[in-house]
Parts: sequence; structure tokens; C-alpha cells
Amino acid sequence: MSSAGVDRGFRRVSAKPPVRAGAPRGRLRFWPQYVAVSPFFLLFALFGLFPVGFSAWLAFHRWDGLSPVTFAGLEQFRFLAADPTFRKAVVNTIVIWVLSTVPMLVMSLAIAALLNSVRRFKTFYQVVLFLPSVTSIVAIAIFFKAIFNNRVGLVNQVLEGIGLPAVEWLNGWWTIKIVLALLMTWQWVGYNAIIYFAGMQAIPGEVYEAAKLDGAGPLRAFWSITVPMLRPVILFTVIISTITGLQTFTEPQVLFGTNAAVNPNSGGPGQAGLTMVLYFYQQAFNYNNYGYGAAIAYGVLAIVGVFALVNWRLVARSEK
Amino acid sequence: MNLSRRNLLLGSGLAALGAGTLSACSTSGTSGGSAGGGSESGTALWYWAGGLSDDVVAAAATQFPDAGITPSVIGGDFKQKLQTTLAGGSFIPQITGVKGEDMPFFRTVADKFTDLNTLGAQEIAADQLAWKWAEAQTQDGQQLGFPIDIGPTAMFYREDILAQAGLPTDPAAVAAATSTWDDFYVFGQELHAKVPGSFPVGQLSTVFTIVIGQIPQRFVSEDNTFTGDSAEMKQAWDTTVKAQTLGVNANASQDKDASLASGVIAVEMGAAWAALDIKNAAPDTSGNWRVANNPVKPTNFGGSFLTIPSATEDKEGAFEIIKWILSTQNQAQAYTDASIFPADPAAWDLPALTGGDEFFGGQKTIDVFGPAGLEVPQQYVAASDAAVSAPYFNELTNVETAGKDPEQAWNDAVAAARDIAKRQGVQ
Repeated sequence: MSSAGVDRGFRRVSAKPPVRAGAPRGRLRFWPQYVAVSPFFLLFALFGLFPVGFSAWLAFHRWDGLSPVTFAGLEQFRFLAADPTFRKAVVNTIVIWVLSTVPMLVMSLAIAALLNSVRRFKTFYQVVLFLPSVTSIVAIAIFFKAIFNNRVGLVNQVLEGIGLPAVEWLNGWWTIKIVLALLMTWQWVGYNAIIYFAGMQAIPGEVYEAAKLDGAGPLRAFWSITVPMLRPVILFTVIISTITGLQTFTEPQVLFGTNAAVNPNSGGPGQAGLTMVLYFYQQAFNYNNYGYGAAIAYGVLAIVGVFALVNWRLVARSEK
Repeated sequence: MNLSRRNLLLGSGLAALGAGTLSACSTSGTSGGSAGGGSESGTALWYWAGGLSDDVVAAAATQFPDAGITPSVIGGDFKQKLQTTLAGGSFIPQITGVKGEDMPFFRTVADKFTDLNTLGAQEIAADQLAWKWAEAQTQDGQQLGFPIDIGPTAMFYREDILAQAGLPTDPAAVAAATSTWDDFYVFGQELHAKVPGSFPVGQLSTVFTIVIGQIPQRFVSEDNTFTGDSAEMKQAWDTTVKAQTLGVNANASQDKDASLASGVIAVEMGAAWAALDIKNAAPDTSGNWRVANNPVKPTNFGGSFLTIPSATEDKEGAFEIIKWILSTQNQAQAYTDASIFPADPAAWDLPALTGGDEFFGGQKTIDVFGPAGLEVPQQYVAASDAAVSAPYFNELTNVETAGKDPEQAWNDAVAAARDIAKRQGVQ
């Protein structure tokens, strides 16, 4: 009896002070921190979460933007599954992504290694490399449109100057994709190089010194030390490039933004520059087909998800 | 609260956030007025750059001092912004422009706009172009828009290049020599044969736009059925691709400006407002251009409207302002200021339009565009027309850039258009 009483008393004693007095103060104690982080969550809920949910709902409806919304069931997704233009857009996007991302990341790695080895003007090179990624993408696209012009473009003038035939860059299935990939590579190669460079700085110098003592040359050190130790950074850049590459929109829109009254945002000759997001924009905003646009957006989400998973799997497995 | 560095940063951060939100509101507030669109909050007027003469709009503000006109030039995608605002239901402008190509869509949501006939628009319409007023009319006769301008089409050509080819150069003679599409192609072949660097067609879509404007039925009929596979449409397609099979298409869709400047494009068909595009693209060729009727008959391409959203409280007041801005005299003024071709035929007789144009070698271009404006055939354009017509333009590009077989391209275009029509709810 007495032990039970002690037990009960012990419990009461230990439970009382923190619950009654401590908890409200504990919750309130952190209010400045909650207030400080709240703008992000409020803005995210308003401009991030709400549109995500709203477009999910919209994908099951028909809406022209002004008339009452009507329920369409799975109709939009049935259209999407059978839509040859969407398939074309998926192929375009993936080809452009491969053409831009693979050479870009290899080049970034090489540039980062060079940057790591230079002794002087390091900051200057960093600024120069970073500059393209903060330049207006619209301005770059207009510039590319001018230099790759079929008839009077700088590239063709150079080609003809050295006795090669001119190429109709903005007309062909492959050449359109190459121009778009070049544009994206030019813009992001320095950005990724800076990230790799930051990763390389974190690799301890002793590892290289030890390798040197073992007789490894610079190439061997690069392949056996730098690349393996950069693996998490490489995974990061691959996933980020996948997500941004699969959402390519501005580049083809500016490059092939023809007269808006007739066939707007078609993606250029043969629709070779029609990316998934450009198609989404065209259907929703040019043709007032918001329900179908939302369905395309979810198609894009699914494809990006699959690619991110595959990337992660590939890089994660080789880490073992 | 004691003034620590952290508190100061937090406070100023929140203040900046608040100021941002407030300024966002106030920007739309001054341009949009109150939610109901009352006259006490002023009259917001929305248009796009070059949509109206800025000087006329400024004069309207002094003409109607009590209305408190606040004009806003809306950049970017005008239709999208107007649509979002109408859907949102607040900050709706009292008067707004609607582009001609967007009118078929806005006609389907007629309850968002005021029927101008209830304000006496019929009396004005009686003296004006019936086909243009019909573009802004619903099937049950509501008049949603007051025409700002029109885009009667004609044929711009390089007089010097035609002379070099030994062809007629006088506008009347050129028009006579190209009165049918067959004649036009004979004329064009001769031009290209004599001056191989020049072409009578810039790109196939230009021809197609004109030809489908000449047939009675476009891609979707008034009873919402798909007509993109009609015999007339096939005829229009064949007429267009002939430019490719005859080898007289310059295929200059990606470098049109350079081709206009260098003389690769010797003939360019387009609306009255396209004159400004040519002037901007090829300023060095000033004096060498002329304008004549395009083959068969003129069509219309573009041309906009002023509308009164149904949320506007003082509809009579808004209509008075519209009538003043688009009076005959002010339409002529708009032509002088911004090359906005008047929708009111009475304005064509005013000195602003009857003068010669130096760029066109002193030619009085109104002599071509005026009669063309009167002869434009009335044509029904469905809200889904733009989406349904897209595959035809895509396939024309395939024909001219990838050498696709025109028959195959036609079949693919019709199949794709049928799919899109189905998605758009067309039978």
C-alpha cells in the first residue's frame, strides 16, 4: 500500500511542473522563430501548394477559364494517353535534355578541375563562369536566334567562310534540338562548374598528397579521387539538371515564338522544339483548355518523377 | 520590444513584405477601380501598347474630367490578363480592349460583357462595316464590342524587282495580272525565273491565312461541327502547297525580316497593319514598295474592339467615352499616331489617310485598303478555331522545311485537327 502511494505521489510530483507551467511557455517561447520562417510557408501554401491541388482537381474537369467548370472524369487523361503531340513533346524534351545535360556535366567537371588547379585570378574566373546563369534567358535566346539564323546567321557565315555548306539550323528536327541544347549548355555549364569546384575544395589535400607519393599522375588522381569523392555533388547536379531540363520552356518559346494570332507556341518547324511544358502552356493559355493543360502538367510531373528516381538509383547503386 | 539587431531585421523584413503586398494591391487598385466597377472610383481603361492612340486616350481624360479616366497599357499576354481578371471578379476595368483574334473566345462568355445595343449601338453600326460589327456579335444578337480597327488584306510588292523581271509594276496592272490564284502563280513563276534570288511567296502560312479567309466555311461551323475536311478546305490547301511544288516559296518563316530587307521576299500578302512591320523590317527599301489587291478577294486579318465589362456600373458613361475615343476624327488621328487602320469607313476620307505614303513611293494606299475593307466577306470564326487550325499550319511547315508530301501532310493535318476538335468539344 505504502509503495503504491509513494508511486502515485512520485508520478504526480514529476508530472505536475512541466505540464502546467512549462508547456504554454514552451510553445510561445519560439514565436519569433515561427514568425521568421512563416513567410516562406505562407507564400508556399498560397502560390505552391494551392496551385498543385487546384490543378489536380482541374485535371478531372473541363474549364475554358471563364465559363462554369464541368466534370470530365478521366477524359483528359484518356486524351493525354492517346495524344500523338504529347508523345512528340516527350521525345523532344528527353532528346534535348540528353543533348544538353550529358555534355554539360562532363564539361563542368573538366572546367571545375581546371579552376581548381589555377593559382591566380580564381575569383575572376568564378565570376565569368557564373555570369551566363544570371543573364536573361530571353535575351540569350534572341541572340541565339540571330546567330543561328538559316540565311544570315553568324554560324552559317563562318561555315560558308571555311568552305562548308550552310545548315538550316532552325528548320531541322535534329538541328533545332542542337541549338536548344547549346543554348542550355552555354547557360548552365558555368553554374555546375562552380558547384563542382566547391565540392572539390572540400576534398582534403592529404588524399592527393598520399596519391602523389604512391606515384599517381593528375589524371589518375582525378578519376580515382576527385570523381568518387564528388559523387554526392554529382548526384545533386544530375537531379537538378533533370528537373530543370525536363521543364524547358522559355528557350523554345522565344526561339520559335511566331505571330501570336496564328498557331502560337507550336515549337517551330516539325514541332521539333515543342517541349512538354511549352505544350502545356499552349493548350492551357493559348487555347483555353485549362483542364487538359492540368492533365499535361501531371504527365510532366510523372515523367520528372520517374527520371529523378532512375537518376538516384543509378548514382546511389554505383556508390556501394 | 527592445531594439536588438535581430528584432530590427525581423521588423524591417515584415514591413518590406507588407509594403510589397500593399503596393501590389494599390497598383491594380489604381488601374482597376473598385470590385463593382463604380464611377466614383474612376474609369479604368485597359488596352495594349499600340492598341489605341495614346494621344487620343490622353485627350479623352481631359474631355471627360468627371469620369476620372485612368488608362493602363497592359503588357504581356493581354487576353490572359483580362480573362484572369474577369474570372477573379475584382479590379475589373470599366472599359477594356479585346483583340480581334480573342473575340471568338470572349463571345462564348457574353454574360461577362455589356450588350452595347442596349446603349444604342445599332444606330452607329448602321453606317459602318457590317462584317466587322458581326465579329463581336453573339448568335442571339448581343453586340459585345465597338470596332477599333480592321485588317483588310492586300498584296505588298517590290516595284523595282518586278521591273527587273520585266513584269507590270503599276498597282492596277499587277492586281489585274494576279486576279486569280492560278494567275498569281504564273506571275510569280515568271518573277522567280527572271530574278532567281526573289520569291513571290515568303512562307506557306501567309498564303493559307488569306485563302481560308476567302472560303465561306472555316474549320468549325456555326452549329459546332468539324468542317476542316471540306472540299473547299482541301482546295485552299492545294492552292497553298502549289507555291511549294512550283518552287516559288522562299520558306523564310525563321528569317522574315532579313528576307524582306534583302529582297528575297518580293511579294508579301498581309493586312493593312503589316505595312508597319515591313517598314520596320526593311527601312532601306523605302520607296520601292507598292500595294495592290491580293488575288481573288480581300480578307480580314486582325482588328480589335473596345468593350464594357458587365461589372461596370456607369455603362452609359463608359459608352460615351468609347464613342468619343472611336469617333471618326479620332480614328483618323489614331492612324496618324500609331498606324491603326480605322474601322469607320468615314475616316478613310479624312486627310490623315488620303495622303501618299513615301514608303510606298507616294502611293495613296487607302485607294487599295479602303475598297478592300468594304469587300471583306463575313465569316464565322469559332472559339475553337485557333486550336483546330494549328495542325494545318504545322503540316504546312513540314511541307516547306522537311519536304513532306503535301497529300500525306493534308491527311495528317485533318486527322490531328479532328482529334483536337473532339477535345475542344466539337462534334
